[in-house]
Amino acid sequence: MAPRRKIVPPGDAPRVIDQGSVWILVAAPSIWAAHFLISYWVAAIWCAKLGRGTSLAEPRWIIAGLGALCIGAIIGLAVLAVRRYGGVFVIFEEITESSERGRDRFVGHVALLLCVLSAAAILFTVIPGMVLGQC
Amino acid sequence: MVLAGCGGRHNWLAAAGEEARAVETLFWIVLVGAGVIWALVVGLAVYAHRAEAKPHREREARRFILWGGVALPVLVVGGLLIWGLLILRDITADDGALTVRVDGERWWWRVIYDTPEGPVTTANEIRLPLGERALFRLTADDVIHSFWVPALGGKMDMIPGRETTLALTPRRLGNWGGLCAEFCGGAHALMRFDAIVMEPDDFAAWLAQEAQPARVAMDDPGFAIFAEEGCGACHAIRGTEAQGPVGPDLTHLASRDKLGAGIYDMTPENIARWITETDAMKPDIDMPSYPGLRGARLDTLVSFLMSLE
Ligand code: HEC
Ligand SMILES: [Cu+2]
Repeated sequence: MAPRRKIVPPGDAPRVIDQGSVWILVAAPSIWAAHFLISYWVAAIWCAKLGRGTSLAEPRWIIAGLGALCIGAIIGLAVLAVRRYGGVFVIFEEITESSERGRDRFVGHVALLLCVLSAAAILFTVIPGMVLGQC
Repeated sequence: MVLAGCGGRHNWLAAAGEEARAVETLFWIVLVGAGVIWALVVGLAVYAHRAEAKPHREREARRFILWGGVALPVLVVGGLLIWGLLILRDITADDGALTVRVDGERWWWRVIYDTPEGPVTTANEIRLPLGERALFRLTADDVIHSFWVPALGGKMDMIPGRETTLALTPRRLGNWGGLCAEFCGGAHALMRFDAIVMEPDDFAAWLAQEAQPARVAMDDPGFAIFAEEGCGACHAIRGTEAQGPVGPDLTHLASRDKLGAGIYDMTPENIARWITETDAMKPDIDMPSYPGLRGARLDTLVSFLMSLE
């Protein structure tokens, strides 16, 4: 009897965000969403407690610091997408191969693009806080 | 001209105010930039369609996509974002030679000038000295309104329970149109006001006059009717016992250019109709009509109101 085709990668059961898992796709946009939400909370609570015209000096550094952390995490994800999934930024031939390898490359490619998008979005969340500087 | 429909006193390209000019500059740059990008993209599409199909080198193609598709948009959009935010920061900055509080009500404007001698209340008309930065502190009484004098600058939302600020620095004399720019119910489209830019000396004289109480004789028959009909429960005429806070202050009603929040000329005929056919003049408003007021009684009341200069 022919051996059954393996669905899971060899070794342990698949870990979250590792080769073979599609979680890497949602990871970067989720980081962006979390950063957006936390920034919003921090600024809203700060301004509600201290009133109009208060300086945003402290919360803006929280938002910027958090932004840097998040972009760092996204860079990590991008590295994973390239190393583990073989994702490339620009594809020259369609990825149509129906195989683990083909699926991985597709997921890697999409994840990489989402990483770039999310990093830019985080940047654009931080900018208003840096420029406006008051409630 | 393409923009002919935008001419006149509501023209936001009239460059009548510093803040409108700042936005206008950004507008032209974005317009021209968008035109250039459009031409480039369409040009590329035509080129791709016409050109003989031959492969580009991968390195070049990758570079083109990275710079043209990622770096350039992020930089351009980021730059415009920063520019727009800087304008916003300037026009909401908390300083001005003159402070005017404007409260949006359905469907009119309560206007209070903060002067060293105390607040001066008026309504439905805003006068500003040429070349001086006026800081508006905006609030709303009921629902969200939006304060906009397109020719001078803005706009800014008026939010219940909050105070927003907006600066206007007029650069051209004139009577500019203002309006509510956020749908607020029935008479929203009739919620307007005049923004009149004056020479600083004229403005000072106007404000001093506006600060005076009304000159009403104790036995004025017109005021007697005003009091009997209960108008004073909603309207204030400073210097009399009429102190109602519900409707516009009428102390210097006749010195305003327009009646009913910027919509009718201030004439005796219009005032008479305003009182007797209120709902036809401005539907939905919070003032009852007085169809029973007629003849000499109405005339006396109207000439009394027209004497409130
Ligand atoms: C229930 C409150 C109420 C009563 C009573 C009332 N008014 Fe009014 N009045 C208003 C409100 C509110 C407005 C503003 C309506 C709008 O423009 O949306 C107004 C507007 C006006 C205006 C126009 C003001 C301006 O700035 O253009 C005049 C004039 C006026 N009322 C006169 C009268 C007279 C005269 C009486 C008595 C016969 C009277 N009102 C009774 C509430 C009232
Ligand atoms: Cu409105």
